[in-house]
Order: sequence, then C-alpha cells, then structure tokens
Amino acid sequence: MRPELTAKELQAYVLSLELGDAEMGAAGASAAIPMAAMLLARQTHAPDLQIAGEMFVNPRPKRLYDSMLDDRALGACEAAETFLELFGHSHRGLDFFFHNGMQVDAYGNINLHHIGGTIDRPRMRGPGAANISYAHTSKRFYICTNVHSPRTFVERVDFVTSPGYLTGPESCRAAGITGGPRLCVTPLAVMDFDPDTLRMRLKSVHPWSSATEVQERTGFDLAMPGTVPETPLPDAATLELLRRVVDPDGLLRAA
Amino acid sequence: MSIGTRREKRVDPSDLGGLIADWLPDGGLLALGGLFKQNRPVALVHEVLKTGRKDLQLVSSPGSGYDADLMIAAGAVAETYLAAVTLEDRMCPAFRGAVEGGRLKAHCVDALSVVGGLLASANGVSFQPVSAWKGSDVVKYNPLVGETTCPFTGAPIYAARAIRPDLALLHAQEGDVYGNIRHLSTMTYADLIIARAAKRVIVSVDRIVSTDDIVARSRETSVPCNYVDAVVHLPHGAHPTGSFPLYSIDEAHIASYADTAEAARKGGAAEQAALDDWLSRHVTAPPSHADYIAAVGGPDRMQALEREAEELSQ
Repeated sequence: MRPELTAKELQAYVLSLELGDAEMGAAGASAAIPMAAMLLARQTHAPDLQIAGEMFVNPRPKRLYDSMLDDRALGACEAAETFLELFGHSHRGLDFFFHNGMQVDAYGNINLHHIGGTIDRPRMRGPGAANISYAHTSKRFYICTNVHSPRTFVERVDFVTSPGYLTGPESCRAAGITGGPRLCVTPLAVMDFDPDTLRMRLKSVHPWSSATEVQERTGFDLAMPGTVPETPLPDAATLELLRRVVDPDGLLRAA
Repeated sequence: MSIGTRREKRVDPSDLGGLIADWLPDGGLLALGGLFKQNRPVALVHEVLKTGRKDLQLVSSPGSGYDADLMIAAGAVAETYLAAVTLEDRMCPAFRGAVEGGRLKAHCVDALSVVGGLLASANGVSFQPVSAWKGSDVVKYNPLVGETTCPFTGAPIYAARAIRPDLALLHAQEGDVYGNIRHLSTMTYADLIIARAAKRVIVSVDRIVSTDDIVARSRETSVPCNYVDAVVHLPHGAHPTGSFPLYSIDEAHIASYADTAEAARKGGAAEQAALDDWLSRHVTAPPSHADYIAAVGGPDRMQALEREAEELSQ
C-alpha cells in the first residue's frame, strides 16, 4: 500500500523542479525539505547540480535529518570548506538558496529575529540567522515554510533578517537588490511574485487545500489568478525515487 | 651540559580552573569553536561555569546552540555576539527567555560580521572589508558593522570590526602534547580563525597522539601549536555535541536539557529549581570530567554514540 503524498514531499518535489542542471546552490541548517529537493533534482533532470556554498561540497547524504549541516548527514562529501570560503560565496552569490522564517511578508522578506517589541526588548526572540548575504547576492531564493498561518504570513515583518523585495521595486533599486525570492512553497500552496509590484500572489494550491483556505490563512491580501490551478504532483516513478533514494527513513512522511 | 627539553602545553584537567581564572576575567570575551552540535568545547565550558565567572561576553562560530544556552541558563553571560542561536529542531530556551526578560544583551550579528571580525583580529588589522550586505535590518543594528570607502576606488564598502577574544575554547579529535591540533571531523568550522584571533587558546582533545604521528601527516594539522596555549586530554569532551568520526550527537541529552530549560522559561519557581538542579547534576557538581560522563550514562552511553558515528562511514 502506498501512503498518501505528504505536504513535505510535495514541497520537496515542487522545489526540485526549479533547480537547473549545472546550477550551484545550497541550503542552510534545519533544511531537510530543500536538501531533499536538491537530491531529487539530481536524481531526475539535473544530474550535474552542484551543492555547495554551505561548507559541504556535493554531499551524499544516505538519509534526511532535521538538522542538515553536520557530519551525520553531509560527512560523505567531495570537499569540506571553512568559514573563510563563506566570504567568497557570499560576495559572488549562488544560483539559488533557501530560506525559512518565523514571519514572511507580502514582499517575501524573512524575519528570524523578533516578533513584537524591539530588537533589544522583544516580545518573542527568534534564533537569528547565520548567513544573511545569500538573500541578495544569490540569483534567486526560495522560501520554504513548515506552516501556513496568519501569524507566519504577515503584511510586514517586524524585522528584516533576510531581505526579499523590501517594499517593492523602488526600494529594491535604492538598496541595490537584484536577486530575490522566486517562489514561496508552503504546506498548502505555491506562491510567486507579481513582476510589476513584487508582491506575493497565489500560483497554485495543493490538492488538500483551496484558494479560500489559503487566503484565510494568509495575513495579507493575496492576488489570485481567475482560476487557481492545482499544484502539479509527482508521478509514481518520481515519488518512488524520493522515497527510496532520497528519504528512505521517511522523514518527510513523519507527522 | 643539558640543552633542556621542549615545553609541553599539555595540562592536567585539574589545572583548567586556574588557567581559565587567569585568562578570562569577569566581563571578558569568550570565544567558542565548533558549530551547532559538532565539536563544541562543552567540557571546557563546564570548567568556565565551575569558576563562577560572570557577566561574560560570548562569541562563537556563526552557529551555536547547546553550550551557549547552558552558559546563559547558568547566569554567566551578559552579552552575546552570536549569529544563529538554535538547537536546529527547536529554539534555545535560555537564550530566548533571557533576551525577552531583558537579562541578556543579544547583539544583532551575522556570519560575515563575526567571522570577518575574527579574521581582522587574526590578521592584526582593525577591520575586515565586506562587500555583501544589503537590505537587511541586521546591518542597521549590528555593532560590528561600519561603513567606509575603498582607498583605491573611493567606492563605499562595509567594514566588520575586529573581535579579539580574551580566551578561545576549542575541541578537536586529536592533538599532541605540544598543542598541535588535528581535526578528524569533515569540517574544521572557524576553529583556526578563532585560535588566531584570541589572546589565549585552550583546546580539549579526545585523544593525545605522538608528535611523530603529527609530523607524518603535517598537512592535516588543523591548528598549529603556535596558536595554542594549552591542550587537555578530555575523552568525549564535546559530549553531548558530536565529535565525528569518533562519536555522534547525544540528541536525547540535549533534549533533556531543552525540555527542562523550556519549562523554566515558561514556568515559575519550581521549574527554575528543576533547571538549577539539572545544571548542578550535569555541570557544576561532577568533580571531574569522568564523573560527568558517569552522570550522563557512562561507558554504555558513550559506546552507543561511538557506534552511531561508526555506522555513518559504512
């Protein structure tokens, strides 16, 4: 019996489709879904995908872990870099990177620092972030969240940890930002960004959700196409690869 | 006439308290090596906490978690220069509680400002130029970031202020009695940069190897002895963080701490007393590192973590 496709598996699949052959990118810590996306892309359309930029060069994880930045997951790799090389990667940028956030706003800005209060006296203090430069030096990044709720998706973040499109095209020009978020992939839907306003809009909904539910669980007005398509699903062979080769322990299937 | 002998930098674990007291004043800046749950100098952090040092400033490689939170929970830290503070699958309870309660000044820093600041210090200059950083609020509030202009082109460029720790604590798998350090882990993190930046450096190693062995593989020496002031043999000295490929991460022990500290953050006097008791049993009460290992499961537990690490390479 084949268990149902889970939200995390679908998120990994959607992100894998975005990654091009011969491109180079990486995910940070706590990034099982992005790592699954990169590994799945390698198994399917992008055998020459280069995983590098977060110290482990072309790692070969045998399974997925909640933490994805240590020897358990990535110790088998082609090379290990140090924090010195981080400067070079950070200045040049990668083709793609992934971000998660405590808050994500209508322009794809990411907050991992605080909710409410001030940075010095926050109502809630988050973990902060290690490398914030990839958000604007990389060609593009993807937002991948574990939840889709009005608390997470807010009109304006309380603190810009990693910049998305700030407050729109003019602010990006003023700040010199050329990259930015391409997609935001959540357990309910896929969002992209209006090329004119750079605001988030609904692109597709997962089969277990609806445009109405997505709008209800988003804390800002989400632009919508006339008819909202369903997120494309992996075929049986692709899902089998994801489950057998990338995620044999079923981390993406766990609740 | 004797030509004398080379001075060993190996110290006995019982010497650590005195060295730390000499090298790290109250309010001093302490640097921790490793990353997240790997190669963290946890046994040395225990020694710092046993000295009762207070109002410390803390810096780390850009990813920190368990040991930093332990120091905050013990009330030893006044200010942090930590980029990401997380247990990865959950937040650090003491860090969060202390910042929200106004008991800890958590400076808003990122990887490039911290590593850049350490690099500047390692190279004997007052700042490191950084060309990244746009659009983030982290730069606005970061005390390590300034703006300057390139002396050659006149173009604006950021600067990361030099960070000079009073004391750095590192953990590695191997070292010799003269303080030559060899990481067997895949990554070496920011450990060499931290060692070069700090005024004093203490390294714990899981095993002592001969200097002939170091010489036979000199390219693998990850921190040369000239950057090390003291080396101490503390088997499983990174526990509960991992020291790959020798032993894996003790997630259950980290979870036991995190559950207790999270209850204290949310709860009242009883939960705080439970956390104080946890810290006493696991940090300050065990007289030696061997007693600590006994308190966290002894040889059986250590062997299980060793097996877990070994299975990874199969």
